[in-house]
Amino acid sequence: MLVPISWLREYVALPNETDAIAHRLAMLGFPVAAIERRPRISGVVSGRIESVDKHPNADRLLVARVEVAREQPLTIATAATNVAAGQRIAVATIGAKLPQLAIEARTMRGVASQGMMISADELALPSDWFEDGIMQLDAAVEPGLDVVELFGLETDVLDVEVTANRPDAMSILGLARELAASYGAGLRLPPLQNPGILEEPPDEQTSISIESPDCYRFVAQRFDGVAVGPAPAWMRVRLALAGQRPINNLVDVSNYVMLETGQPLHFYDAAKVANRRLVVRSARDGERIVTLDGVERNLGPQALVIADDRQPLGLAGLMGGATSEVTAMTTAILLESANFNGPRVRRMSAALGLRSEASSRHEKSLAPALTDLGAARAAALLDDLGAKAYRPHVAGAPLTAAQPIALRASNVERLLGLAIPAERIADHLRALGCRVDANAEGTLSVTPPPWRRDLTIAADLVEEVARIEGYDRIPAVVPSVPAHEISSAAFDLENALAARLAGLGYHEIVTHSLRATGDAASVEVRNPISEEHRFLRDSLAPGLIEHFAGAQTPARAFEIGQIFRRSDEHIVEQTALGFGFSAVRGDEPPWRDSAFLRLKGDCEALLRAVTGRVPEIVPGESSGFHPGKTGIVTIDDTTLGIIGCFDPRLTKARNLAANAYLCLLDVGAIPPYATPQYRAPSRFPSTYRDLALVVATSVHARAIERAVSDVLGGLCTGVAVFDEYRGAQVGDGRKSLAVRITMQRFDTTITDEEADEAIARVLDAMRERFGATIRA
Amino acid sequence: MTDLAEELRRLHERFNAAAESAGDEEALEEARVAYLGRNGEVTVLRRTIGTLSPQERPGAGKAINDAVSTMEARLAELRARFETRAFDEELAASIDVTFPGTPSGMGSIHPVRRILADACTFFTRHGFAVVVGPEAEPDYYNFDALNIPSEHPAREGFDSFWLTETMLLRPHTSPMQIRTMQRHKPPVAIVAPGKCFRRDAVDARHLFQFHQVEGLLVAEDIHFGHLKGMLTGLCRELFGPNQSVRFRPSYFPFTEPSAEVDTTCPKCAGRTASCNMCGGSGWIELGGSGMVHPSVLREVGYDPERYSGWAFGFGVERLGLARYEVDDIRRFVSSEPDFLRQLS
Repeated sequence: MLVPISWLREYVALPNETDAIAHRLAMLGFPVAAIERRPRISGVVSGRIESVDKHPNADRLLVARVEVAREQPLTIATAATNVAAGQRIAVATIGAKLPQLAIEARTMRGVASQGMMISADELALPSDWFEDGIMQLDAAVEPGLDVVELFGLETDVLDVEVTANRPDAMSILGLARELAASYGAGLRLPPLQNPGILEEPPDEQTSISIESPDCYRFVAQRFDGVAVGPAPAWMRVRLALAGQRPINNLVDVSNYVMLETGQPLHFYDAAKVANRRLVVRSARDGERIVTLDGVERNLGPQALVIADDRQPLGLAGLMGGATSEVTAMTTAILLESANFNGPRVRRMSAALGLRSEASSRHEKSLAPALTDLGAARAAALLDDLGAKAYRPHVAGAPLTAAQPIALRASNVERLLGLAIPAERIADHLRALGCRVDANAEGTLSVTPPPWRRDLTIAADLVEEVARIEGYDRIPAVVPSVPAHEISSAAFDLENALAARLAGLGYHEIVTHSLRATGDAASVEVRNPISEEHRFLRDSLAPGLIEHFAGAQTPARAFEIGQIFRRSDEHIVEQTALGFGFSAVRGDEPPWRDSAFLRLKGDCEALLRAVTGRVPEIVPGESSGFHPGKTGIVTIDDTTLGIIGCFDPRLTKARNLAANAYLCLLDVGAIPPYATPQYRAPSRFPSTYRDLALVVATSVHARAIERAVSDVLGGLCTGVAVFDEYRGAQVGDGRKSLAVRITMQRFDTTITDEEADEAIARVLDAMRERFGATIRA
Repeated sequence: MTDLAEELRRLHERFNAAAESAGDEEALEEARVAYLGRNGEVTVLRRTIGTLSPQERPGAGKAINDAVSTMEARLAELRARFETRAFDEELAASIDVTFPGTPSGMGSIHPVRRILADACTFFTRHGFAVVVGPEAEPDYYNFDALNIPSEHPAREGFDSFWLTETMLLRPHTSPMQIRTMQRHKPPVAIVAPGKCFRRDAVDARHLFQFHQVEGLLVAEDIHFGHLKGMLTGLCRELFGPNQSVRFRPSYFPFTEPSAEVDTTCPKCAGRTASCNMCGGSGWIELGGSGMVHPSVLREVGYDPERYSGWAFGFGVERLGLARYEVDDIRRFVSSEPDFLRQLS
């Protein structure tokens, strides 16, 4: 809310520096989002127009004589047309400094003009919020007063943020009270005694009927002898400085009281309220209302209305209706100062898509005690305007004091780590309006003030004490953390994967979890922020491929993040890892893809590092992947994920010219690191034989390796297929695999004869199992 | 005797000629083998000693040994010369060390992970564990258990993405407080990093998908001063040893007392009125914190009379803006190669 400092100063003495006040508010829990620095204005005084005459030499100019409490009235020429003898106006005297100009003596068409009568615009007020031409002051303003001082024009305006628990502080008085407590200064309250003592005639009694549990208290008060017109200048200026457009004296009084006290009010034209009876009830199906913003609204039972015996007159806590609106004809009004269930107001506001200054307060659940206070303050202001105030009517629950809260000084120290004497604690709380009684044991009994609904437990009071004491005063201490048994394994694994992949040359990316497309198993957001982000991703692949497409040059990337899908009515969430690269196909035969092998090598290195085991990649299929270049990543027959070349049709569809090679793993399926057992190597030398085996193309390299191990058992210390050839020399449907078999004994040196005999056994087995022949 | 001496002299001469003419170490080795090897000329000659008279044998043996020593010394000398020459040649080489290096294909960690890891390392050093949890959470963990019942005005501050009637994408990492405390008896000391979602309009300062790091310490005798101590330490870890931290009162339903945490603007340290990082205030906002609300402790079965604790939650990308002086928060989800390269 916008808070002119000059308005605050009316209730509490404050330092001169705006920044100091803003800082103090921030340190009380009310951060200042912005400071509007008002221009400096001097030399403007109030004046009374003694006479207005035509300018002798110019048809469009007038010459006024203006009394400004000096020996001689000033002679001022003006082009304004809204001036007349008897008016009180603001005069910029010779030497005055205005935001746009400095006033000097000058002659206008032969008349020496000793100053200038000024408009709101020249005082840096929004000109379309005030009358055209010269700004009119109130008849009671004595000539010769400093207008800047009179209206608090020389002020900065703070844009103060108030948290949702403090609707009481969404008011000038509320913030003044906070500052007074913090500075240890006194609080000067405005008149809060309701002057309404007139009794309504028995046949004209105002009555209130609360027919909804969501209205807790309702104060209604009648005022007669009302003349609708502009509000006093001081009030209009003050409202304008606070960002509230002046409308007329009645609307302005209700806005003024809301800004000042935090209690929203509403005025009804008393003549338009049937039987002077106000009913608070839920709207009936099919009921309609035209609200003050001119919109006709259909109401349902969720709406809470204030009605008379005929129709809804307004939406409770939200906005009044047009039928009972105050107009220029209004002579008598009914004031409403009420308290409603906050959530009910918020629901209605959300359902109707309508918010107002009033609802922004009501929806945070105001204190019922504010109703009487708001009515009293409005009555005092209306009394000043000459209205006749009747005795207020009150309906709803009687006001009761809050339950006292027990607070021990040790409690404060326990939570804050700062020892504050009980007497000082009591002082802080009293400064905020609490009633504090100390019992013999040193326990304080604290009764929160009626306007604070947020103080219900001791911890709430501890915060109040800390705020007034100052959070800065609490010493910073590094705790010694007691032992516990909570594991960091999941986070450690993610970081280990990330570190290893970075070491393998992959760049980590973070992409959007919410995507434009999905399928039947996708999790859909009910209230998406845009169509681009309607579905939760069920794979990291699209994000990676878009990254490759955007990177222009071949890119290597990985992402670790949550993926989602729907299973029955449940949302299944998984931590996924995706890594891979884009690669332009090299000059290779169709049966070889070195890019795949590079990715596989990285996958093996990665999983070896975090699990202590080398994964097995078995042929497989997965939607979105190339049918002939896809493997399933497994460890101990547990599936960890997919590795392969992405379907080139899909990569093309995402504007990626190159192929994409991806490994997609379920991080939760990765087994923990298996501590290996060391085996000392043989002291005896090893020997190896290289074979070129010709087999059918359907025979997998890994099958050959396994078969060799099977046949040789412990004699074989290594077997690896290291080359593949296909072509005319081996014939159609056949391929030649180069295999290196390493043999070694632990008890003696292996002889050539022994090795040759072992290889012969291998060849027999290869022939038998795979129909292998030795390549010539 | 004379024959052998004469033979040895001539042989020595031939050896000298062969050694001298050897152009490299390999040729020299050939010469060695030819004269001193298993079937070399000197070895062959030595075998003739047996044919001499016993009186002649010692003299002949000595003569041959002397000749062998001389030859070996000569070979060593020549070998050393070759080695020196080889080193001289190698050392004569010179390259342009300013020529661009060949990249070794190093990858990188995303700056968000780096910040999270650095923050978590600070806490693990002090005995905290790091826990992670789901992003789709029931409203119970997001709100109800955190003392934000439905209809609570504070729910408005969490404009959330809803997935079902009760499930939503977590708007903060605070559900991990509840999950952890329900699973473990006190004491608990955790940090919980993770991705969060709020329906915020995206601009240079806002993302609808962002990361938070949550912290929670609940034990006996834990107070607000401990919160200040740890968060001051964290900021110094992330931004440098001169960092100040400021705590301002605020409101969160799940903490009481509550505080907003600010730290000195790492860019201008409050010295530049026009600083685009802090808007000239000299402070940047890190997030919320406070003492865990007694209702939250009771909800998870902890006795608030016995245990107390604090919690905090910071926006990680916001930390990143300040730490790396990034101009636009959207870069953290853009994965621009240049952004990743610069911050790797």
